[in-house]
Amino acid sequence: MDKKTSGISQFLARFRGWIQAGATLLTNWHLPNFWKGRLYQGPGKTVCVPGLNCYSCPAASGACPIGAFQAVVGSSKFHFCYYITGILILLGVLLGRFICGFLCPFGWLQELLHKIPTKKLSTKKLKPLTYLKYAVLVVMVFLLPALAVNDVGMGDPFFCKYLCPQGVLEGAIPLSIVNSGIRTALGKLFTWKFSILLTVVVLSVVFYRPFCKWLCPLGAFYALLNKVSLFQIKVDANKCISCGKCARSCKMDVDVTKSPNHTECIRCGMCIRACPTNAIRFRYGFGDGKEKITKSNTEETK
Amino acid sequence: MNMNIKKLTALLLAALMVLALAACGAKDATKAPETAATEAAAADTTEAATEADSEEPKNEEEALALHKELLERENAILSENTELWEKVFMKADKGMAMIEDGKNYGDFLLDTVETAKEQFTDKEYEWLKESATEISNIENKLTELEEKYPEIMQKSMDGDMSMPAGDDMSMPSDQSGTDKMAEQGSMQKFPAFEGKDLDGNTVKSDELFSGNAVTVVNFWFTTCSPCVGELAELDALNKELAKKGGALIGVNTFTLDGDEAAISEAKDVLAKKGVTYQNVYFASDGEAGKFTTNIFAYPTTYVVDRNGNIVGDPIVGAITEKKQAETLQKLIDQAIAADMG
Repeated sequence: MDKKTSGISQFLARFRGWIQAGATLLTNWHLPNFWKGRLYQGPGKTVCVPGLNCYSCPAASGACPIGAFQAVVGSSKFHFCYYITGILILLGVLLGRFICGFLCPFGWLQELLHKIPTKKLSTKKLKPLTYLKYAVLVVMVFLLPALAVNDVGMGDPFFCKYLCPQGVLEGAIPLSIVNSGIRTALGKLFTWKFSILLTVVVLSVVFYRPFCKWLCPLGAFYALLNKVSLFQIKVDANKCISCGKCARSCKMDVDVTKSPNHTECIRCGMCIRACPTNAIRFRYGFGDGKEKITKSNTEETK
Repeated sequence: MNMNIKKLTALLLAALMVLALAACGAKDATKAPETAATEAAAADTTEAATEADSEEPKNEEEALALHKELLERENAILSENTELWEKVFMKADKGMAMIEDGKNYGDFLLDTVETAKEQFTDKEYEWLKESATEISNIENKLTELEEKYPEIMQKSMDGDMSMPAGDDMSMPSDQSGTDKMAEQGSMQKFPAFEGKDLDGNTVKSDELFSGNAVTVVNFWFTTCSPCVGELAELDALNKELAKKGGALIGVNTFTLDGDEAAISEAKDVLAKKGVTYQNVYFASDGEAGKFTTNIFAYPTTYVVDRNGNIVGDPIVGAITEKKQAETLQKLIDQAIAADMG
């Protein structure tokens, strides 16, 4: 029994790259729009995708949850968006930061960039920066759009407008290449955000997923729900030999043996692959699974 | 035990996916009747051409009137199905001399339609053939008139009335077709519409454009903050334009098809911003409606000349940006200068 589930865990961890590629493709299904310079505007856009993926990407199949939330909160009619919040809580409880590790296109991009062979730097000492993303979530995604309003009661989507590099990469750049009108509209704001994108790209080469760790408001939201998510990581204390390989292999600076459901854990499964005794595995379900472990233990001891 | 949980999970996830898809489907379903309703509202904006060909003009004045009328009619035919004509123009052999011996613009169109036959459905082909033949007839009459009364051509174009877009085609010249086709290609018609302003008054695009030396069309929507941010400046621009015989109109995309709630919200915002210029809406599945769905960046502002042609490239982004305001002013000046001849 145990072997099989750890088999699934191993499989997920091993083929994560392919799952990420597939998720990116599904999130951006309308590829021909890239050269037509149009946006898909069908019913899919009334639903949001799990990862950070710009609505204004010509190929995007759905809306970005963070963008949609700001659009509603910033409109003069509403102060809060229950629809998106509900979806995010549901996704967070069902999958947590598994979304970051497996489904988010921007996460995948940063990982691909990190594969470029250069000297890699650890982010362990920069841990305080990981709290920045919660500030981004609260201030830029919620407070500013809702409170910094003009005379008609409208706020700007501050995160999308001033920070999000994914918007430049997926929206501004491809659209301005094919659409001359948009090209002429590019101004200071574009220069600013393009610099952010460039910085994130460069940092991604030397650091692992800098944007996810420090800035992503969507990751911050899922991080909060990681603790209660049905998608968990389980470390079998009986199998663990405390070799510390898991903590060393973790690029998100988590010690899985101490806190298997840490806010920073993106469920990438690198620890699962690193573990020499197969003590770490994914687990899906309610509770913390202690009962089952004792059961399988008793089975083993029989 | 664990295996069961995995299976259960898989089942749950599958159910979730089905539900998600069902949600999309439901959205679709609720949208369907909406579009069906607007389909009925989509009115063809073409006007019936007046019968004029049977009469023989007795003097220059009558000839002039007839000349103008014929030009207008040709123009009406060409603007009736812009998309289809656009296809024909694309197919046109640019190297081919447009007017060969004894052939006119209509014949040229007829030939082009013939060569690009497979591009069109039977119905489209039939319509194009008929229209091209009619244009050919009109052209023949125009040439006849121009031969009889050489002065009228100039007068017909200098007249205070609208100058039909197709008029330069009626000029019997030995200029090669290349130049003419290039001209035609760069001239994009603003899609025709017959809509209403937010107070319910009917607005027809041809009347609107022909009544103004230049018409600035601003596309916006109520919850777009850069769009709302430029409303006050647009209002000032409208007052400026009024002095020069131009006008500015807004198209709020939320109000298309006459959505009551959207109209009252738009009016609210307009009132708060002190906007006095006309805002119009039309059917979303009409020619102009489809044109609107292809606008992806808001606000977008078009400059349209008296003939209903779009001048230059649309201005994307708010004109509160200095660069954009300058570009817009340039296009406006260009249109006014061209109108003065």
